[in-house]
Amino acid sequence: MSTTNNLIDLEGADHLSDSPTPRYFGREKSRTRSDKAFSGSVVVAALSSLFILVAILFYLATSSWPALQKEGFSFITGTTWIGGLDDPSLQVFQIWPMLYGSFLNALLAIIFAVPISVLLAIFMVFIAPKKIARALTIVVDVLAAIPSGIIGIWGFLVFTPVAEGWARLIHQYLGSIPIFVNNQDQFTRSPFITAWVLGIMIVPIITVVAREVLAQTPQDLLDAARGLGGSLWGTVRMVALPHARGGIVGGVMLGLGRALGETVAIYFVLNLIFERVNYYRILDPEGGSVASMIIAKFGEATPEEIQALLGAGLVLFILTLIVNLIANWIVARSARERLA
Amino acid sequence: MTIVQEKPSEETFKEPQYPWKKVNPSTSLANSIIVLLPISVFALSFFLTDLPGALLFIVVFLPVQILVAIFATFWGISKKRVGDAVLSVLSLVAFSLVIALMGSVLFSVFSRGLPAISLSFVTQNNTYISPTTVLDYGGVGHALLGTLMVVAIGMIISVPLGIASAIYITDMKGRLSGFVRFMVQAMSGVPSIVAGLFILAAFILSDVSGFSALTGGLAYSILMLPTVARTAEEVLKLVPKDLRDAAIALGSSRARVIMKIVLPTARTGILTAVILGVARVIGETAPLLLTTSNTNGTNLNPFVDAVSTIPVYIFQFLGSGYPTAINRSWGAAFVLMTTVAILFAIARIVERSTKKG
Repeated sequence: MSTTNNLIDLEGADHLSDSPTPRYFGREKSRTRSDKAFSGSVVVAALSSLFILVAILFYLATSSWPALQKEGFSFITGTTWIGGLDDPSLQVFQIWPMLYGSFLNALLAIIFAVPISVLLAIFMVFIAPKKIARALTIVVDVLAAIPSGIIGIWGFLVFTPVAEGWARLIHQYLGSIPIFVNNQDQFTRSPFITAWVLGIMIVPIITVVAREVLAQTPQDLLDAARGLGGSLWGTVRMVALPHARGGIVGGVMLGLGRALGETVAIYFVLNLIFERVNYYRILDPEGGSVASMIIAKFGEATPEEIQALLGAGLVLFILTLIVNLIANWIVARSARERLA
Repeated sequence: MTIVQEKPSEETFKEPQYPWKKVNPSTSLANSIIVLLPISVFALSFFLTDLPGALLFIVVFLPVQILVAIFATFWGISKKRVGDAVLSVLSLVAFSLVIALMGSVLFSVFSRGLPAISLSFVTQNNTYISPTTVLDYGGVGHALLGTLMVVAIGMIISVPLGIASAIYITDMKGRLSGFVRFMVQAMSGVPSIVAGLFILAAFILSDVSGFSALTGGLAYSILMLPTVARTAEEVLKLVPKDLRDAAIALGSSRARVIMKIVLPTARTGILTAVILGVARVIGETAPLLLTTSNTNGTNLNPFVDAVSTIPVYIFQFLGSGYPTAINRSWGAAFVLMTTVAILFAIARIVERSTKKG
């Protein structure tokens, strides 16, 4: 069993396949009382995920309500954060710089991670000898199993100095392009570095999905490509990638969800600026992340500020829920298309 | 380069067959050019200019490698396979990059963490220890106990729920099984910080409980549940249909089939599910910062008072910035990594022993 498989629903179209576990029992006809009790408790336990999701929504919404009500829609769109005051009416909580920063980090991470992951998956499925492919599966599993806290400390102490050098080079040679502008002479703690650290975290997620769907390319199609004299590149481009596209897009969305929710690693590698949006200068030591803001502000937060942080958590929760549901829908739909 | 494959291995009828693996093996000259030319150009430019090697790798080595691969394929093999050459070079670069990154993470945890490790580091707690105290005193003992406690509580809550979800989806196939599956999927996307905030709002801010190992365990259980449920589902699907059929033919009730036949048959797989669930959460820092807080002493009461854990210990000392404190962080990271490695080793051994048996 692959370690990371459980993250992703790779089948999704279970009802179409010849399931090994047909339903044996009528729903209503449990025979004994103990049997009924057993089924009842299994159903209740199985619905726990629903209860928990609803409870998360309920508790985050109710406990952050005063802050959300006070700020209104500008909680999301505004760029001011004034906390730590004795007078609650003077405090302002708006998270747009953090929210935008979360998206910028995640988007850059995906731009870095997708080519690596897809190439790696192609390498594992179509190019590498069996032994190397198998070893690489373990490598990807290990990479997925490294705790995010350790990626954080590594990103902060080992990777940042290396990436700083790269950022300087990019600035030196491509500094005239607006996104590589940096007038602060500090190249650490930037969205660029953050995105690489996030990218390293999501490469295994995307690779596992991409490898799985590429390996499911039907042998007839590969044979047909061979019969027509297709090359490896031609076959990958014309047969395997179109076939795997849905699955790969779903995997990318799962990675996006993970990147949006990452907290501690970003806290260490990114300089959070709460009141100014860094829209595109990815080498500047300025950025944002909703999740990291919660950790950064939590320690010295006033009660009202904690309400606002819970509101930020609510926004993050809804965002990742949407991203994750779209991802699973895409993966499941493409799996169904493949089977059909 | 991988454009030219080694001699075709004997193919069983099951093996997938890839057309491009049959390449006329008369291209050794092209191969050696592909290997040697880019390296020599790279070496020359490295010694003749004073540009940094990393930059040269990107702007000299890679383009030359790709060009050479294209030309060699064009003349040596076939015009049609030029795309293959580029694909091979690029995917090898991706391969090396991932190996290098993983190697760098593991190597730095090992090389920087190991010097901090001693018996006292693993057994002592953090009382009277400041960020500048030498490494001979104090350690992660209290945090290790705290992590084990929080993970155990998370396990106690999430394992029964996860297995029940899996049973409902695979064995009972109730009216809601598609829905339960969907909910488990939705839950796997909950960010760890949100799990922590939820417990904070539901228990700590509403004064049901203070910071404790219990609240941390609750937050962990939210993150573990989807992993356990997903893996257990896969495992239960592997239990042979015949076993279930036989038990039903003998007149067993639903509860008996599941408790006496399905779960015992799948027990090693379920153990794997539990271990994967633990590995998923054991390094999570964010939810614990919000739910267990931190303490310097050893706290063995899971219901009352803050407790320290390894991820929070790493966070605490890394944040303080002193060299000894950072060494402590690396030491704790090493302890954490070792714990995860031991868990995965157990999972592999269990898996292998079931396959044999």
